[in-house]
Amino acid sequence: MIRNFIISGSGGQGVLSIGTILANIFMLSDKFVSFIPCYGAEMRGGAVNCEINASDEELLCIQNKEVDIVVALNQTSFDKFISKVKKNGTIIVNSSLAKINKTRDDIKYIFAPLTQEALKLGNIKTANSIALGILSKITDNFSIENVKKAYEKILKDKKDLIQKNIEAYFVGYNYIQER
Amino acid sequence: MNKELLKGNIAIAKAALNCGCNCYFGYPITPQTEIGEYLSKQMPANKLAYVCAESEIAAINMALGAASTGAKVMTSSSSCAVSLMQEAISYASSDELPIVIVNVMRAGPGQGYIFPSQGDYNQATIGGGNGDYKTIVLSPSSVQECIDLTYRAFYLAQKYRTPVILLADGLLGQMAEAAELTENPYPEIDNSNWRLDGAKNRPSREIHSLEPDQNKLNRHIVKLYQKYSAIEQNECDYEEYKTQDAEVIITAFGTMARYAKALCNHYRNKGVKIGLFRPKTLYPFPYKRLNELSQKAKIVIDIEMNMGQMLKDVRLAVLSNAQVAFIGKPVGDWLREEEMINAANNILKERYASI
Repeated sequence: MIRNFIISGSGGQGVLSIGTILANIFMLSDKFVSFIPCYGAEMRGGAVNCEINASDEELLCIQNKEVDIVVALNQTSFDKFISKVKKNGTIIVNSSLAKINKTRDDIKYIFAPLTQEALKLGNIKTANSIALGILSKITDNFSIENVKKAYEKILKDKKDLIQKNIEAYFVGYNYIQER
Repeated sequence: MNKELLKGNIAIAKAALNCGCNCYFGYPITPQTEIGEYLSKQMPANKLAYVCAESEIAAINMALGAASTGAKVMTSSSSCAVSLMQEAISYASSDELPIVIVNVMRAGPGQGYIFPSQGDYNQATIGGGNGDYKTIVLSPSSVQECIDLTYRAFYLAQKYRTPVILLADGLLGQMAEAAELTENPYPEIDNSNWRLDGAKNRPSREIHSLEPDQNKLNRHIVKLYQKYSAIEQNECDYEEYKTQDAEVIITAFGTMARYAKALCNHYRNKGVKIGLFRPKTLYPFPYKRLNELSQKAKIVIDIEMNMGQMLKDVRLAVLSNAQVAFIGKPVGDWLREEEMINAANNILKERYASI
């Protein structure tokens, strides 16, 4: 089975970080995986997105017309990528930075105030990890060990952030259950 | 296996270091800048020569100079800037200098843009320099092959004392996949009989392409062509996928070949006997094997992210054995599976009612 994802937002929101972490989790789970970043010239503030594909077999098509799950961390990316969600697919939207608006009725929506939830955790920069937690919950039964390993690898130069982000990941993971 | 998630560009840089590249000269250009960026940290720290040159012309000429001393040299660039290197590639071929040139293709012609493309097939395989010369061209289609073929590029450059081009594309350079940084499988080639390392206790040597003696120049070029002939004889490399009973053969190189494989799977499920032939060496092009396969085939469909550059080599291999068709798009978003299927349906529908 092939599963594909787009994670989108603006520079500085940690789009590529959680994209890389997700790709690493799949790799550690013995899946074939591809990760393609796409960004403008700006390091901060510009539009950023990445596409991740995971499969049990060799990955052939790396860029797809539509994907199973889109994560939109702001309004611009919500507007831009809603058309890329497959029929019956899901879009996870940061409702702190995007208006709740359902323009398509053939997809599922998860609106979550990621920025507010991150502020509650004391670090606004963990909104991306909350989104990754939600995505994981509806995607796969990742082993906690692999999730931790992936975070430790990607944040190896920012060790103090690992614990906070894993905490945020589980806030996201448990988010749907609580509602 | 010890796999890690690697970008194509980083994989090339790591493999170069792993097989002993000790001199890198380059100038930044998207979509290959990460190669230089990675090496700029690693090489000085390991007392290896890294130079961010003032231009691509300077970079490749530095590469020539360093290679003449026996160093293991690499430069990397992209399309429009590889155009600037053509003169030096001609010189390096005549000088018989082993240099590895990485071209992570972007869109052209002219400056084009940073979209991925396969528009430099002609530039790489035919070359834009003057005179009679040929350049070995290797074409990876996955991040793992970026590693494997970087090793091979260094090996073939040293073995034949000739420039080798590693022809990747922007998609492969930028994307990350799980890959294993294996050990370099190739032996070291002794260059002590030609390198310029000081003439103490031995007769002096020269490396230059200037040759005012007509007979000598003729002999030199004939000798180069004997070498090319050996390369054509020994180094053709390709991948075949479900070609055993194929009536329809898809030809594609690089990243495009992965999408072509998906197309094969699509039509196999519909009962079409279809297979993929992917040259891994674009020069030497595997004419012989493709000719053999085409004798049993009805149609050969060439798929490229350009307007049909490998197509002429495919035609030269297939001759009149089978019908040759082409599906292509010059730049940008890679040809999607559904786009390829639409185009291929038009070609195949006359013969295969089942699709």
